[in-house]
Amino acid sequence: MLLEVRDLHVEFRTRDGVAKAVNGVSYGVDAGETLAVLGESGSGKSVTAQAVMGILDMPPGRITGGEVFFQGKDVLKLKEEERRRLRGYGMAMIFQDALSALNPVLSVGDQLGEMFVVHRRMSKKDARAKAVELMDRVRIPGAAERVRDYPHQFSGGMRQRIMIAMALALEPALIIADEPTTALDVTVQAQVMDLLAELQREYHMGLILITHDLGVVADVADRIAVMYAGKIVESAPVHDIYKSPAHPYTRGLLDSIPRLDQKGQELYAIKGLPPNLMNIPPGCAFHPRCPMAQDVCRTDVPPLYEVSEERGSACHFWRECLHG
Amino acid sequence: MAEPILEVSGLVKHYPLMQGVLFKKQVGAVKAVDGVDFTLGKGETLGIVGESGCGKSTVARLLCNLERPTAGSIRFKGEDITRLSGKALKAVRRNIQMVFQDPYTSLNPRMTVGDIIGEPYEIHPEVAPKGDRRRRVRELLDVVGLNPEYINRYPHQFSGGQRQRIGIARGLALRPQVIVADEPVSALDVSVQAQVINLLDGLQSEFDLSYVFIAHDLSIVRHISDRVGVMYLGRIVEIGSDAEIYDHPTHPYTQALLSAVPVPDPEARERRERIILTGDVPSPTNIPSGCRFRTRCWKAQERCALEVPALAVPEGFRGASGPAVHDSACHFAEEKQVVPPEAAENGNGPG
Repeated sequence: MLLEVRDLHVEFRTRDGVAKAVNGVSYGVDAGETLAVLGESGSGKSVTAQAVMGILDMPPGRITGGEVFFQGKDVLKLKEEERRRLRGYGMAMIFQDALSALNPVLSVGDQLGEMFVVHRRMSKKDARAKAVELMDRVRIPGAAERVRDYPHQFSGGMRQRIMIAMALALEPALIIADEPTTALDVTVQAQVMDLLAELQREYHMGLILITHDLGVVADVADRIAVMYAGKIVESAPVHDIYKSPAHPYTRGLLDSIPRLDQKGQELYAIKGLPPNLMNIPPGCAFHPRCPMAQDVCRTDVPPLYEVSEERGSACHFWRECLHG
Repeated sequence: MAEPILEVSGLVKHYPLMQGVLFKKQVGAVKAVDGVDFTLGKGETLGIVGESGCGKSTVARLLCNLERPTAGSIRFKGEDITRLSGKALKAVRRNIQMVFQDPYTSLNPRMTVGDIIGEPYEIHPEVAPKGDRRRRVRELLDVVGLNPEYINRYPHQFSGGQRQRIGIARGLALRPQVIVADEPVSALDVSVQAQVINLLDGLQSEFDLSYVFIAHDLSIVRHISDRVGVMYLGRIVEIGSDAEIYDHPTHPYTQALLSAVPVPDPEARERRERIILTGDVPSPTNIPSGCRFRTRCWKAQERCALEVPALAVPEGFRGASGPAVHDSACHFAEEKQVVPPEAAENGNGPG
């Protein structure tokens, strides 16, 4: 396994109390595989990724437990200098908002080239040539002329391509993409997702795709991990989860999205609100919103039950959910 | 169609681009809205979809009289509202209210919920006498599914979905006949989106409202709309009933837009034909000649560069009947099914 996260816990100490953002997350990604981490805002999907990358703000953040194995090494035990080397070479991240992730006062060529100057000790001239090559690879038209342009001179889709180029620069084994297409229009979204999937195949990289969009996930992922209140509540191959979800939260999410091919009646809505991370309900965190909740859900935290060899569901009543 | 409540014709909004410090001169214009026509029937929901920069939000602002159009007219119950001022304008504004996109910035953080929802009554005191306002605000909170006891709380004490309900309550306060909702759910989480859409649906029949629903999410627009208009670079390129647009699109842009929407069904991955457009939307300061979509269109021919296609039933379809016959601004309009109908069978019913 390329990356394996085991029982990760992250909390944030704030003036108002301790927010438990990640409460025992475990997942793994193989080379060439795409894992989608699906969740709403506050589910802990991005915080998990930041902990894996080693870019979590600490303080206020704190990793209070767990291990992150990357290519066999526990990266949480590495020194900061070693981790820095790992970022870029080993794993790289693509952020949601390309305009704020890029430096507005440096040309894109300088920003792409910087990777080679810092990590590979290349000369500025060679680095510039490499930058053009990368921009070509992510299909930015007229790369040789545009390498001198600044981020604001590119459209949203083109900026996201530059982010992808930057992540690819040192040919990492793993890419973590945090909502890479959320800020883009649908027609551009499709272009960027296709490019990402193609490059992943070409380089045989592991890809973790963090998103809230069930549609995007269905189009590209191999496996899905659904997160709720800092935990994985369901993990399954992509085909299984859409056909027969084994957790009421996943089922609720699937039912509550309007579909292009159907003119529905009233939409199914999950009642209530996502929990406050400073005050997560006891037992199963989803129980106050769950249509299937029983007494046991209010007291006992459900473990990730094995539904099949490849599937897990953290619901005491996963059998009923699967068949109901 | 029911009797029209809004009739928009030839609507144009150009923002001048100025150059020079002392002697300013106009060097061009951002053509945000460049000739839009539609009608909204009473009790109907018209969805307007398009990508960012297509002018859909400018249309919303024009409808609410927040901006004056460069040309064209907006008739509310037969009266052109674009040239009104003073008392007459105020009266019309009461009847067309807006719900904004971002529930985090559209509510004043220093005002209580009661003051926010009650503020429209300060501007239009004739709607509710002073002594009656608190009661009305409580009623409105109840209508949108919030606890009336929350009347003295501040916006930051609410979640995104609850804030959007506050925005909707404010929109309803003056009992308008038309509500213009500009991306009302795009800032919300999936599980909360459904709650707000159901609320809007319910309010429509309860208060006999007509909606103009503006969004970039095609699935949501289909869910809530009776008719749908697709906008591209300041113009409506195709308009029709939801089945006409989604199941029988004839404009290549609509087809590309529909085919690009990710469908939450991994099996549709293989079955679906995807049309991936090349390039980006051209700048609204420099709109292509003829058909404005031609620079990204795979069907474009010489005629497209010379002749602006009108929004009407295309030549090839005249005299025919069926759902493919509707207004589409393309010289080479052809029906093409992009949303696979079989996918419907795999859908999960409400669980």
